[in-house]
Parts: sequence; structure tokens; C-alpha cells
Amino acid sequence: MNVIETKQLSKSYGSAQIIKAIDLSVKEGELFGFLGRNGAGKSTFINMLTGIIYPSSGTYSLLGVKGPNDQVKKRMGVMPDYSTLYSSLTAMEHLKFLSALSGNSASKVRCKEVLNLVGLQNHGGKKVGKFSFGMKKKLGIAQAIIHDPKIIFLDEPTSGLDPESAITIQKLIQNLQKNGKTIFMTSHNLHEVEKICTQIAIMKDGQIIKIGTMDELRAFYRSKITVKIKHSPIPKAEQLTLYEWLESAGSDLTKEVNSLTITVDDEKKIAEMIRAFNQCKVDIFRVEVEEPSLEDIFLDE
Amino acid sequence: MFVIAKREFINLFKGIKSIITVLFLLIVSYYSAKFSEVISIGIELTASEAEGIHTVGILTLILLLGYLFVASLSHNTVNREMEERTIRFLITRTSRQSIILGKFFGICLFWFVTLIISFLLISIFSQKVDLFIFLQTMSLLIYQIALIILLSVIILKPSLTMFLGIIVGLSFPAVGIWLAFTSNTWVSWIKFITPYYYLFNEDYTFVMNVILAVIMLAIANQIFKRREC
Repeated sequence: MNVIETKQLSKSYGSAQIIKAIDLSVKEGELFGFLGRNGAGKSTFINMLTGIIYPSSGTYSLLGVKGPNDQVKKRMGVMPDYSTLYSSLTAMEHLKFLSALSGNSASKVRCKEVLNLVGLQNHGGKKVGKFSFGMKKKLGIAQAIIHDPKIIFLDEPTSGLDPESAITIQKLIQNLQKNGKTIFMTSHNLHEVEKICTQIAIMKDGQIIKIGTMDELRAFYRSKITVKIKHSPIPKAEQLTLYEWLESAGSDLTKEVNSLTITVDDEKKIAEMIRAFNQCKVDIFRVEVEEPSLEDIFLDE
Repeated sequence: MFVIAKREFINLFKGIKSIITVLFLLIVSYYSAKFSEVISIGIELTASEAEGIHTVGILTLILLLGYLFVASLSHNTVNREMEERTIRFLITRTSRQSIILGKFFGICLFWFVTLIISFLLISIFSQKVDLFIFLQTMSLLIYQIALIILLSVIILKPSLTMFLGIIVGLSFPAVGIWLAFTSNTWVSWIKFITPYYYLFNEDYTFVMNVILAVIMLAIANQIFKRREC
């Protein structure tokens, strides 16, 4: 079942088209990562899905119901970006108020449990006005999950958090997914998305330019396999022949003392390279193969 | 809706401005009721005026400064949340109509309770609760609360609604009362959309104030539904 589905979803402000006719499906139980540079349209897209702003054209549905729909709101949790919390309320009061608003008033025990999950167990009675940025971010996540929603939207959930807190939140997000929640998150953090997301979409200028699992994205970018070879000295008579062959086999050839780095577009070429070295009577000590990371894919786009 | 109404109601009682306003109203109610008979000496009053003399203090205060009181406490009830973006937590959880109605009922309840206490204080001296005057006063407040909410939805800057609250609060009663009695045909029609015209009759036409409030809330709701937060 598709929990999130958009059809030709677009958003314009005047003549500027921020989101350009996006078709997207997110299945139940997925942890969907939405990547993009600043201004790519990630937050605008998430804000449309959560009813904060309205689409200019196109449609979307959440949990099978055409949006925006007030009943679906009860089953979704949202952590919007750039939001401040109520500074006069304590963390506990926040969770009680916002869960009651979702129609699923949380007990004191449940509030404590969620505060514990995000690492705010010792700050439940503290007013949010005295919270640091990171603590507010954690409370933002806590309020998004307090009412046990089916679908969770997180806009940059770990930005501004210290590494330890970021890992805690990443683990929490993964656990939520394991417990059957569908999570739609945006992030700037490529390593985070690569690490935890089951589906990834890369957004550029209001359009999704690539979508798939990490393996699918990697397969698409297999033309970017970087091979590093550590070898014995190449006999002078063979150097020209071997280098000419390598330049024809791959690209970005970098020569160093007894080692070289080259980018190839096919795994088969690695075997051919090893044979070529053997024919030139050059011993190979080590072959390192680097598959494209999300960072490489992202930067390439 | 009830969650928002409850929060709005509790929040209003928490603030220092609210406490001062409530205390001020209670003190005026108490002393005007206590000394109402002294004040009325030498003034010719009709039977019904004499009967309601104890409420003259609170009535004058609400009639002349009611809007100012309501505006000072709630002028930014919606636009503050939009400016601080806390509105995003509300609109992603409940309908926009519930937010508008919740805020309206929360503020109404605050003034209802304040007015009830004031009238109970007055009843110590008058030995009765004047339900008609209470309802008239409440209708005026309901109108003013709806107007405040409408302005808070239309105008996005809280500082501007505060400024407008002072200007309207000071000019509205004077203009409204003048409109209620003027014979100038060019402007006298405006009296039908101000609350004062409906308060000077000794009947239940003050219900019109509640109807006007409903219309203003409906407009506020339609605007808010279209607004991007």
C-alpha cells in the first residue's frame, strides 16, 4: 500500500515554480530520505504534504485519503523545520497539549517514555524557553511521535545536533521504522540518509532527479567505480604500453610511485586491468575498489 | 477545538496583563456598585435606570474600553502563532476551523468568567443578578472578540494589530455611539454593523451582536483556510 502518493504535485509563487509536477509513491513501512541542496524544494514539498501550504496544481494522498484532510492529521506526526515551540510551556506540557490536539491524549508515563527516547528524560519539567537549539530539536521529534502516528514527517531531524545526539535520533528513527511506521524525512546529511534510509530521492530545482534504494542508485552510477592499485615497479619498456592501455580502459588516471588510481565504468575492466599488469610482469599487491557513495552521486548531480 | 479553547483560557489567566485587567474590572464593579446610590443623587433616573444603577460602572467600562481590554490581551491570538510558526504544530494536527473556534471560545470563556465574577460582586449590593444587562455586555464582548480574531487573521504583524487595537479601541466606541444616534443618511447605515446600536434598545436586539460575531468568524475562517503558514 502506498502511504504517500503524489500526482503532478506542483507549487508556484508568482512566476517561480518551486516544485515541478512531482509524481512520487512511498510504500508503507519505508524510511524515505529526501535529499537536496538548500532551495531545492524539499521543505516546500514536505509542507505541502502536511497541509502547511497548498499545492498550486496536482494532487496528493496520505494513507489512501486525498489531502489535505483533517482526519488524516490525527494519524500523522510532523516535525516542521524552522519552527519554534511554546517558550512558556515545559517539555511535558508540550507533549500533553499537542497529543491532546491530535485526539490521543498522552499519559504522564507515555510522555516520560518519549522524552526518554529522545534523550530529554531529565528536562520534562523545564520550560522550553530555556532549552538549547538541540534540545528543542529533540522535543520537536518527541511531539511528532507522542501520539503514535502511522506516518511521520521529519524536516531535517538531526541538523544542529551534536554527533552523539544525532546518532541517538538516527537509531530512534530506525526503530520507529522497524515498528511499522512510515517515515518521510528530508536531510542535508548524506551519510545519515545513506545509513538509515530504505528509499532515497534526490531533488534538484524542484524536481526529483533520482529515486531508488541505495543499491539501485549505486547501480545507476556504476560508471563511477574508482580502482586503486598498489603494484611493483613497472619496467621502463612496458610503461608506455601499460599507461596507454589504462587510459583507453578508464578515466581520471592518477599515477603515483608504485600505485595508481583510475575510474572505470564496468567491473569487468578491473579483471582486464589485472591481466594487463600481469602481461607486463608487474606484481599487484593490493586492489581497492570504491563504489560510488551517496555523496559522489549527489555531487555528480 | 476544546483543547485549544482550554489552552487559550488558561493562558489568559496566566498573564500579568490579564490579572491587572480582571482586578481593575472587579475593583470598578465593586466600588461603582457600592457607591452607585451616592453617584445617582441629584440625577433623574427612570425606573429601569434606577434598577440597573449598580451595574453602571462595569457597563460604562465595557462600553467605552471593552475593545481596548480585549485587544490588549488577545490582539495577536492568531498572528503571533503565525509569526512564531507555532501555528504549524496546530494546523498539522487539527482543522483550521477548530483553531479559530477554539481561540474564540477560549477568549469568550475568559471574559464570561470575568464578567460573572464582576456581576456577582455587584449582586452583593443590588441583591440580584441583572441577567439582561449581563447578556447585553456579553454580546458586546462576543462581537469584540470576533473582531479581534478577524483582524488577527487578516493582519500578519502582531505589532500592527496592537497599534490597530489602540486606535480602534479608542475611536470605535465614540464613532459607534455617534453612529447609533446620527441622522446623517450617508453614514447612519454603518450603525447596523457596529455593536452599540443594538445595545441602546430595551429588548433582545443585542442578539444581533452575536450574529455579527458569527459572520466575522466565518470570514476569519475562510481567510485562515486559504492562508499558507
